[in-house]
Amino acid sequence: MSARIRAVFEDAGVRGWMHAVALDAPDSTVEVDADTVVPMASVYKLPLLAGFGRLVDLGEVDPRRQVTLDPSTRTAGPTGLSLLADPVTMSLRDLAVSMMTVSDNAAADVLLDVVGLRRLAELLESFGLQRTWVRRGTAGNLRDLQRRTGLDDPDAALAVLADNDRTDPVGVYEAANGSASTPRDMTTLLRRLWTGELLSAEQTTFVQATMRRQLFLHRLASGFPHDGVRVAGKTGTFGALRHEVGVVTLPGGAAFAVAVYTLAARGDFRQPRVDAAIGEAARVAVDLLR
Amino acid sequence: MLTERHLQIFIALAEEQHFGDAARVVGITQPPLSQGLRRLEALVGAKLFERGQGRVELTSAGAALLPYARRALTSIGELHQAAVSRDPEGPEIRLGLAPEVPPSAGAAVAAACGAAIPGSRVTVVSAPTSSLVGQVSAGRLTLAAVLHPAVLDGLEAGPVTLLPTWALVPASHGAGDGDEVVLRRLAGLPIAVRPRAEAPAARDLFLDTLALHRPDGGTVVVTDERAGLAMTAAGQAIVVTADPSLTAPGVGRLRLADNPLPVRLRLVWSRTRTPFLRPADVMAQLTDAMVAS
Repeated sequence: MSARIRAVFEDAGVRGWMHAVALDAPDSTVEVDADTVVPMASVYKLPLLAGFGRLVDLGEVDPRRQVTLDPSTRTAGPTGLSLLADPVTMSLRDLAVSMMTVSDNAAADVLLDVVGLRRLAELLESFGLQRTWVRRGTAGNLRDLQRRTGLDDPDAALAVLADNDRTDPVGVYEAANGSASTPRDMTTLLRRLWTGELLSAEQTTFVQATMRRQLFLHRLASGFPHDGVRVAGKTGTFGALRHEVGVVTLPGGAAFAVAVYTLAARGDFRQPRVDAAIGEAARVAVDLLR
Repeated sequence: MLTERHLQIFIALAEEQHFGDAARVVGITQPPLSQGLRRLEALVGAKLFERGQGRVELTSAGAALLPYARRALTSIGELHQAAVSRDPEGPEIRLGLAPEVPPSAGAAVAAACGAAIPGSRVTVVSAPTSSLVGQVSAGRLTLAAVLHPAVLDGLEAGPVTLLPTWALVPASHGAGDGDEVVLRRLAGLPIAVRPRAEAPAARDLFLDTLALHRPDGGTVVVTDERAGLAMTAAGQAIVVTADPSLTAPGVGRLRLADNPLPVRLRLVWSRTRTPFLRPADVMAQLTDAMVAS
């Protein structure tokens, strides 16, 4: 059954890992090496959001609390607050919106500080995620890459990974070196977030609505070119890693949690065939499950 | 008689739950797969799968026997491995070469393989990158020189090395032999490329780079460099090659300015199945030999 999806990955020039499951029938699944632990790149922002929501429910964190981010100390990145020139003051819940809708690195690292790595690990374990480890945020990720490439400038270090003429530094795509997870763990998390068993009704609605507003439509959503199909997702991109996890809801209401992780053979920053292959793999999986 | 193929069919069907997909995994067509399954069921005296509505599901007998089949197939693999390593004639080094590796470079790697382990026997096969990667993963090859970028799926890989390429053009094309030319100016004829499925990522990188530098002119798919060279001699195509010796009457050789379309190569091997004591060092030496040739 997975041979069709393997063929999609092969044609796109990627190693792919995938898990897809119907929300109302957890026993019907489509899997491609779904228990392999893969570095998760910005997909870590999803478990972070779930952890944040739980702390709000517990009353440990006030989502309206205002935080000021200074350009000299906030994390670099291609989107969101990471791009701005001046200090910005925002509430924690608005930072969460920026983190999820445009994968804002600066916002995410602030929330990771608020939740804390150790507290987040406890929460993820309590959510039933046994193979998900958030070991560091984006700032930590970039520092590790700078160390491995011997380059001080994060952009120059990322350019090494993008260069097809150079050999990748050892260990940059090792799951044990950073935040990592399995496709199955991410669909488990999505399923529990969608059934409402992890968070209060208010936080559940916040998570789902925020994920539906994600701006990136080039991966999972590209497999479903119909406005009647709703896609709520979170992408992850780092070097040759291209991921997205999300929930696909068909017009009749049938919904599917899908997690697609890929590692492309090419290093280029822009790889539209790989993005489209993630959508294609998701569409094939949903068609098999519906 | 129960064979390795029966075990492969059993395990593939259990994993894929679909006859067509399982046949694809085993590398055969559907009729021999169905036939193999019927033979296996007769041999073990039990029905292993329920067939119906496009899906195939393990019976309870199938589920009970599956772990034994997996163990048996693993043991057969270990037998092959042990036979190779206990060979009294010295270890066999099986080298795979992608067709883009120039003959002199392939010869240099093979010679260096033999020198790396005195007394070893070196055998060489040529096959497309995607096939070579699969053969190294399956343990049928010791190492292979493949195109980069390629999906390596857990294999170890040496440094990426770049070989410069030349454009072979029909003499009628007008350019003088040995001239340097900008890719953009290489107009009028399609460039011969090998089939995409042989190495999707490397081929897409080649085609994307070509389209960037040379928006018109197109490409034509050829089975190999021999066919490409013949089409060039016939005035129908341009060949981009890393082979310094490829030539024919009526074909001119041009240097491409700034080397826009290098052949990127790297050696791949399996961490668990290498006869070399320090594989990374040996692979670096072999890579040097390939580039220096």
